[in-house]
Amino acid sequence: MDKIRKTSKKKTKKRSKSKKYPASKMAQPVLVPEEQWQLDEFQVKAIEAVLSGQNVLVAAPTGTGKTLIAEKLAEKALGEGREVVYTSPLKALSNQKFADFKKLFGVEQVGLVTGDITINGEAPLTVMTTEIFRNKCFEDPEQLVNVAYVIFDEIHYLDDPHRGTAWEEAILFAPPHIKILGLSATVPNIEEVATWISEVRQSKMLVVVEQKRAVPLEFCWITADDYLLNESQAKHQVKKLIEKKSEKSRYFRN
Amino acid sequence: MRNLKNPSEIIDSIQHQLPALYFVFGRAKSETLAVELGMQWDFLDINEKKRVKQIIIAAEAEYPDMFVHRDRSTLKKLLVQGIGYHHAGLSMGLKRIVERLYEERLIWVLFCTETFAAGVNFPAASTVFESCRKWDGREFRQLLNREFFQMAGRAGRRGFDQHGHVFIQISDSYPAETGFFKESGIEKVQGRLTVSANTVLNLLMWKSDQEIEHFLKSNFSAFQKRRNLKETTKDIAEAQIIIQEKNNVFCEDRENNTCPLISKKLKRELQKLKSRKYRQIHGSSNRITEIKKTLKILNQKHCNSEKCFEAVETLRKVNQKLLSLQLKKKKTAKETQRYTADFNKMRRLLERLGYVDGRVLFSRGKFALHLHIQEIFVAELVFSGILENSPPDVVAGILAGVDYVPGRREFVKDHVYNIDPVTQLRAELTKLSVPQEYLVWSPVPGYIVSAWYQGQDFAHLLENTSLQEGDIISIIRREIDLLRQIEKAIMAGGPVSLKENNSVLLEKIRNIKRTLDRDQMMILL
Repeated sequence: MDKIRKTSKKKTKKRSKSKKYPASKMAQPVLVPEEQWQLDEFQVKAIEAVLSGQNVLVAAPTGTGKTLIAEKLAEKALGEGREVVYTSPLKALSNQKFADFKKLFGVEQVGLVTGDITINGEAPLTVMTTEIFRNKCFEDPEQLVNVAYVIFDEIHYLDDPHRGTAWEEAILFAPPHIKILGLSATVPNIEEVATWISEVRQSKMLVVVEQKRAVPLEFCWITADDYLLNESQAKHQVKKLIEKKSEKSRYFRN
Repeated sequence: MRNLKNPSEIIDSIQHQLPALYFVFGRAKSETLAVELGMQWDFLDINEKKRVKQIIIAAEAEYPDMFVHRDRSTLKKLLVQGIGYHHAGLSMGLKRIVERLYEERLIWVLFCTETFAAGVNFPAASTVFESCRKWDGREFRQLLNREFFQMAGRAGRRGFDQHGHVFIQISDSYPAETGFFKESGIEKVQGRLTVSANTVLNLLMWKSDQEIEHFLKSNFSAFQKRRNLKETTKDIAEAQIIIQEKNNVFCEDRENNTCPLISKKLKRELQKLKSRKYRQIHGSSNRITEIKKTLKILNQKHCNSEKCFEAVETLRKVNQKLLSLQLKKKKTAKETQRYTADFNKMRRLLERLGYVDGRVLFSRGKFALHLHIQEIFVAELVFSGILENSPPDVVAGILAGVDYVPGRREFVKDHVYNIDPVTQLRAELTKLSVPQEYLVWSPVPGYIVSAWYQGQDFAHLLENTSLQEGDIISIIRREIDLLRQIEKAIMAGGPVSLKENNSVLLEKIRNIKRTLDRDQMMILL
């Protein structure tokens, strides 16, 4: 009985809302596929550098197209008959990248090696978790003889309290002939990271930084009664709420 | 759980900025909120609903019961309304469906946890933060700036939106936790090297002394500490120069009876002596006249006392700073040695346990070279013969518990086999002073994996635990990972003590691995 009443209430409400809705729904975007974006300056710079065989560390916000740099690099290396290792911090991400690369470069060219799965492990472009690459650096560096580049996606995972050690050990012990392309979220000490890498690997590293987001962000705070506030209003509101709260607790204590 | 605010009104306020990723830190919360929104909103027209249903039917053809357990039928209903949730508790199939529908723009509001924002690019028109605190495995804490921007940055579809809209909720009950994040506040990357048993064994096996030294002294953390040390040393030198300079300001009369620097002190004393408490004390009046006399002389002295006062003040500050700098230097210098100390400690432990002697790795050591999770404990499980002597379903159950820490309210049906040998082994290792962090094991998840090994189906597992689909899959995938490590280690030589039985153990391990990797546990590619 109760259930029926609920659904009927839902229906009336739903209808009135969806009537209000279409305005923004009309404006469904036709997204431009990533490959067709015009290259940003930082991408051009980074791509040139990796194509000429340098170590490169790119720091840019999410969604600005760092992946494209990796793809251009892989394309060139594969064309020259060399190998590339692509490491990512999460298994889900590795699986996703594996699928993407297969589409781009063909099934035979791409492999996947994580702790619990190996597919086409001998392929020239192998997607791995960073831990697996680190293990290879210790156990069979001979297997990496033909590898021109290792790409560390999300290299700021260096900072992960539990897993960061895999990145450090991989950077320290990757065979010296291998060049590094590191892709990082925005971090303030990216230069320091690059200096360290170039010091331990005794090989220069170019830093390419993009501060600007592809789409700038606009922030808004929402109160409990659904008012939208800007930052200074929100700070004021928060201050008021904190004061009210401490007054209340004082009242209860007395 | 805290009181949750109904999301319907919020969605009403931001309805021109959809689709939205609604970040929630908690699985149950994300489900509750989705259900609440579903009571008042429906985002899809008839054709879109048809499309969603088609996609769901196609997925169900592959896994008929994917929406049956854990009340996922609710999710199915919500998806038809253009609402979804996504978190680590979902099965791979469900996650896949939600991701697909989102990509096809058939989900308008997606309640999701942090994992949805990691890596794969799922842009939205806006992102909403239900709260800015997350459970990081140990405690609830405020999001880091870096974490916040990773998520918030999903707002704004390139080539379409002028802005990405980010909405942060202010909680009336916990206003102090409201997030105000700044890109300029993004945290520095720090070195996080840890010296595990596996690392030490690999270093001893493959690397020269020089390379080991390089590893211990040139890792990122040591590099940063050395830089700090350099800076601190420089700061100390600068402070010392200032101290020297300021000391030159004073004349030779400094702080004797003719120096104005003591006048303040004298005035203070005078004040004190004049108070009622001290006035009566014997000798006070004499002292008062004495002070008055000195002050008179001081007033007549014409020196540049301003400068001296300023110098005294600066010296006080700089000396204080110098002290803290010197402390910091001492601490940092010790920290740069930390990794060498950690390495030696681990090496001594491994020597005591018979894994290694100097540069020579014994069979246990060679075995553990290939292990990456709880390497000492797993090697001991093998060398004690426990894995060899137990039937495969028990081995499957025991290995499930390696490195597993059960949650507080977690329920799994009790295992039916005897775990005494494992408990004994851990007790023995503890007696040999192996730290507990290298012996992390729990009997809790055992039933799940041994039942799965014995051919039970996914529904049976779900009926016998409170864990969600995603947790079960992750327990079994982790075990497959561990089984692969053990397999590799046996193939590389294996325990000499079990030599003739190595192939039996190897076959057992492979059989478990093959049996586990089926149906819902298989990775979708």
